Amino acid sequence: MDRKIALLILVIFSLSISVSVFSQIPLTKKWDTEKIRGERNLPHPSFEGFPYLNRTWVIGKIEFNDGEVSDSLDFRYSSFKDELVYFNREISAQIVVDKASLKGFSYVDSIGISHIFRRQYFDGFAKGNRYFEVLSDADIDLLVYRKVKLSAVSPYKSVAGILRDQAYTTEYQYYFYSPTNGYTLVRPTLSGLLSKFDHTSQRPIKKLLRKNRIRISDEDSFVLAWKCVDKVGFQLIF
Amino acid sequence: MKKRIIILLVLIVHLTNGLAAGKSVLSLFTDRDVYVSGETLLAKIYLPSDNLSRIVYLDMVNEQGIRISGVSLEIKKNQADGYLQLPDSLSSGSYLVRAYLKHTAHQLKVIREIKISNRFDGLEKMNQMNRVECSSVVQTRNTAKIEIANVSPVYSAGSQIHADVEINRDLLDSIDGDLFVSIAQMDPSFESVAFFEKSSSAESGLVEKKGIVISGTVLNRKTKKPTSGITVYFVVPDSIPGFQYYKTQSDGRFYFMLDKYCGSVDAFVECFREIPTEPLTIKLDELYAESGSLPRYNKQQITEELRNSILRNVDAVTFQKVFNQPKLRFHDVGKQAPDSYPYYGEVSCTVDPQLFVDLPDFTEVSRELLHGVKFRNYNNEPTMQVFNNPMRNYFDEMPLVLLDGIPIRDLNIIKGMGSTDIDRVDICLSERFYGNLRFPGVVAIYSTKKDYSRLTESDQLIHLKFETVQVPYSLEVSENLDSNIPDLRQVIYWNPTVTKNSKILVDCRASSVIGLYKLVVRGRLIDGTLISTEKQLEVK
Repeated sequence: MDRKIALLILVIFSLSISVSVFSQIPLTKKWDTEKIRGERNLPHPSFEGFPYLNRTWVIGKIEFNDGEVSDSLDFRYSSFKDELVYFNREISAQIVVDKASLKGFSYVDSIGISHIFRRQYFDGFAKGNRYFEVLSDADIDLLVYRKVKLSAVSPYKSVAGILRDQAYTTEYQYYFYSPTNGYTLVRPTLSGLLSKFDHTSQRPIKKLLRKNRIRISDEDSFVLAWKCVDKVGFQLIF
Repeated sequence: MKKRIIILLVLIVHLTNGLAAGKSVLSLFTDRDVYVSGETLLAKIYLPSDNLSRIVYLDMVNEQGIRISGVSLEIKKNQADGYLQLPDSLSSGSYLVRAYLKHTAHQLKVIREIKISNRFDGLEKMNQMNRVECSSVVQTRNTAKIEIANVSPVYSAGSQIHADVEINRDLLDSIDGDLFVSIAQMDPSFESVAFFEKSSSAESGLVEKKGIVISGTVLNRKTKKPTSGITVYFVVPDSIPGFQYYKTQSDGRFYFMLDKYCGSVDAFVECFREIPTEPLTIKLDELYAESGSLPRYNKQQITEELRNSILRNVDAVTFQKVFNQPKLRFHDVGKQAPDSYPYYGEVSCTVDPQLFVDLPDFTEVSRELLHGVKFRNYNNEPTMQVFNNPMRNYFDEMPLVLLDGIPIRDLNIIKGMGSTDIDRVDICLSERFYGNLRFPGVVAIYSTKKDYSRLTESDQLIHLKFETVQVPYSLEVSENLDSNIPDLRQVIYWNPTVTKNSKILVDCRASSVIGLYKLVVRGRLIDGTLISTEKQLEVK
């Protein structure tokens, strides 16, 4: 008797599953999502150093201007050209995504740290849209423009044996940004941070950082220090 | 024993789930039951609370199941409201107003019977009329917990009507979404009911979660079999054209999403044959549901009361047209910000040929004005090539050529276009990508006429003119009417989205059309029960 009931249940379940599974024709994947627009990526000239921020392709997501998100994409950020290069597996092409079509992009690196990049208009020297990595997102954001530039260096022989005198060098630029006050450049050091506050605030800030055992030595500690200072509410000078 | 109980419980849970899924609270209400041709029908639709679709369809079919008109409405808070324009040429008789969701249209529709009288050959001339014999009627519960106060039984024409709708606190918490209040003319001798048309068909479509879905099939014209691997394009021509594409699979099907459009849209659906021996044909699916099984009708005598009421309404509608009194006011849709640049990319250069000396054809235009575009017309076989700027050479393949945003392959279409025919030309001198599509350069020509007359419709190019999501509207209330012109409204108050509150004020002015009116308050409870309260009033 039990076996019969169990069999009946099995039949009912399998029927209901088959109905739900075959109720719709399988559609082309992501047919109704926004399409990525861009143009073919051309290889960077070969010099010493590395023009990309990411050594390999990373899996991440991009956000379009209308808020739509496209997930699980293979891309890498070209710090040299300030462009996002995405790999389209369907047509095996490396495509530079149109900057004007994106709001930003994000990915999680191999050690599990999330990186969020935002496209913002930069009104300083070399005006235009730039991808900034958001290190701290609050009323005043801490942003970094991960710039790689071609610098003149002492002549060297490349792997191919060609004599060259240029190399890719990193030149990261850190900014405090607020929509009302704009950008202000900051060095990622203790003195750089203190210089953004008035004299009366500098001593309490130092004390606060000492109390929290924060010693600014690299980018991570700088971000930590800024978050600590921002939490207390010291007034930043733009 | 324990085993049996568990098995029984599993079975019960499964069955109750099935029942719950099948429970439907799709319902449809119209402003009135009897109309005159040329009028506007207002409708309110309640949708199931587990509804995932953003679009509901409202259409009207005649007794033979032929569709007269239809609209698609946007669902908000599982409710929708809209209007149907009743053509002036409609013959007198019974019509069915239907509401349904596209993906469940084969299984469930809610239908309401209405009567329409032609202005020149009306129902009043008939002795009998058809009445639908309905089996599963949409149940609405009259509730005493909604009270309509301060309504006089009689109002004089043009006088002010103030009514207070008071809702019991207990009921207020169990109301799902907005309430709907209307005051419209009524006829006690004819009251229609909404009923369901149910079918056990397992056929189901796509859930229109984001917007209207246009679908169809690409067939081989010779074999009539679906064709796979064909790229179908959907273009909405504009200064920055809308563009979508779909690559067909083995079933030959294609789908396009219309989530950013409102009102009337001009669109093109197009595909190209890759192999010359494979002629293709595009078969578009109907936007609206098929007529399905037609209900049975009974004959009923037309009462003298209804006859008089129709005569009065025919006059009212005729004079409404004479005095040009619109029934509805249309609202501007907060248009979504258009793309900052076209789908084919940021252009390398834009050329306006009208700024230069007149050039007779496209060969001359390209030679003199379009740098990086090589257009040749040898032996009447035109070819085009675009310069690839980053690679410093010409592409071997033909670029994407667009005429008013619509892709074209036959360059004979544009070869005769001189500078007077061209408004502007956008050129992209690089290898562009849009999704999985690759364009070896782009030449987008925008014509001065924009009448698409150069494009001939065929099995592979279909010009669509259709209504997307209906534009928001409200009932026109003309406050400053000339005292010599009668106010000929038959619906004097219509608010389909009243925020629930313990006290709702209804403020309006009675029209010049005398007769019986009904103030109705409708709503839906969280458990799906439809509730209503109504009060009758007379305008003398």
